[in-house]
Amino acid sequence: MPTEDDLFDKLRIELRRGSLVLAVLAALREERYGYTLRTLLDDAGLPIEEGALYPLLRRLEAQGLLTSEWREEGRNKRFYRLSPDGEAILAQLQAEWEAIGASLGRLLK
Amino acid sequence: MDLISRYLGAVRRNLPARGADDIVAELRDALASRIEDREEALGRPLDGAETEGLTKDFGHPLVVAARFRRHQWLIGPDVFPFYLSVARIVLLAVASVQLAIGLVQLLFGHRDPAELLMQTIGGLATGLIFCLALVTLVFAVLERTGFPAEHIAGWNPATLADVDEPQPGPWESAAETALALAFLLWWGGAFSLPYAPGSADFRIEPAPVFTQLYWPIFVLAAARLVHNLIQWLRPRWKLLRTLIGGATAIGGLVLLAIIYRAGQWATIVPTGMDLARAADLQTSLNLALRIAIVAIGVIWTFACLGALWKLSRARAAAAAPA
Repeated sequence: MPTEDDLFDKLRIELRRGSLVLAVLAALREERYGYTLRTLLDDAGLPIEEGALYPLLRRLEAQGLLTSEWREEGRNKRFYRLSPDGEAILAQLQAEWEAIGASLGRLLK
Repeated sequence: MDLISRYLGAVRRNLPARGADDIVAELRDALASRIEDREEALGRPLDGAETEGLTKDFGHPLVVAARFRRHQWLIGPDVFPFYLSVARIVLLAVASVQLAIGLVQLLFGHRDPAELLMQTIGGLATGLIFCLALVTLVFAVLERTGFPAEHIAGWNPATLADVDEPQPGPWESAAETALALAFLLWWGGAFSLPYAPGSADFRIEPAPVFTQLYWPIFVLAAARLVHNLIQWLRPRWKLLRTLIGGATAIGGLVLLAIIYRAGQWATIVPTGMDLARAADLQTSLNLALRIAIVAIGVIWTFACLGALWKLSRARAAAAAPA
């Protein structure tokens, strides 16, 4: 029998999951590699598991929203950044996010 | 680093071959970065247990690898309702046919009931598992070919049945369709029932009237199958359904009358049995068949009259001013 805390955690994860793409796209306006991106998201209060982050990065790249390249920086690292298509989508998603926030703000008053 | 290499090896084995090297290289860097961070925080190298814990936190190799696959599920939430509906129908149809075969064998097959029960249960289990596997396979393929989006986009609400028209449930429709199809295939000779009618000392032969009426019965069964399919899948095709329903009802009653007038429907051919006993058995069998034919005739007549009554009510309702 799930407790109230379990239920809250489940709903919280669902709520946050939808915002992760936006967070990743926003964070990659600057070039980063996976580990620093994850740390940045973590510090910003949006933790994401590596197991979810790396497949997400590849999916966004396959969709043309990110570009990547391997570079030597102490070790071989794969750097990601937003593509021009990604910038356009990020702008649209940001507008959508703000509209959702405003709507929810009114509903939650 | 041996543990990390083994871990990445396990992930790699479960990755799609294309791009595996690239993914593993990136994961290696992620793990190394994590280890470096932890070591920096502790001010010393990690010991074996700490490396093990860190690797475990990274995730089970199967789960980590699976997330890089394009398809995360066999049948996704969009396809699942269709899968569930079709699987239920197919399983019910298979169970209906298997149980009907078992019943026929029980009534006419002179088989040991216990042995027959075991055989029917075995046949049911095998048939259900095979069909479920087949349906799952078909829907897994549909999941990967864009079926849900196409099907949902092509769906037309105008094809939905009327609220005031009672519709048979999907289970009933599936059972009717499966039995009609099974009868048609059996009558057409696609398969024979898995038993020999009769026993070692006699055999049962159908009367010549069934040979004479082979094609009319075949056409009637095929038309009934089409009627069942329309009722099930295209409930708004009322005119066609009514025409086929009416034609098959009248045709069925005519055929039944012709069969009844033949007077004899089965012959016992003794192959060792006493002739007098064979004659008695034939009389009993034909009496049972006479009763069955009359019962079917009565049921069909009432069904036919009921359908005509419903049709006349529907026409009257349609003609009445709003």
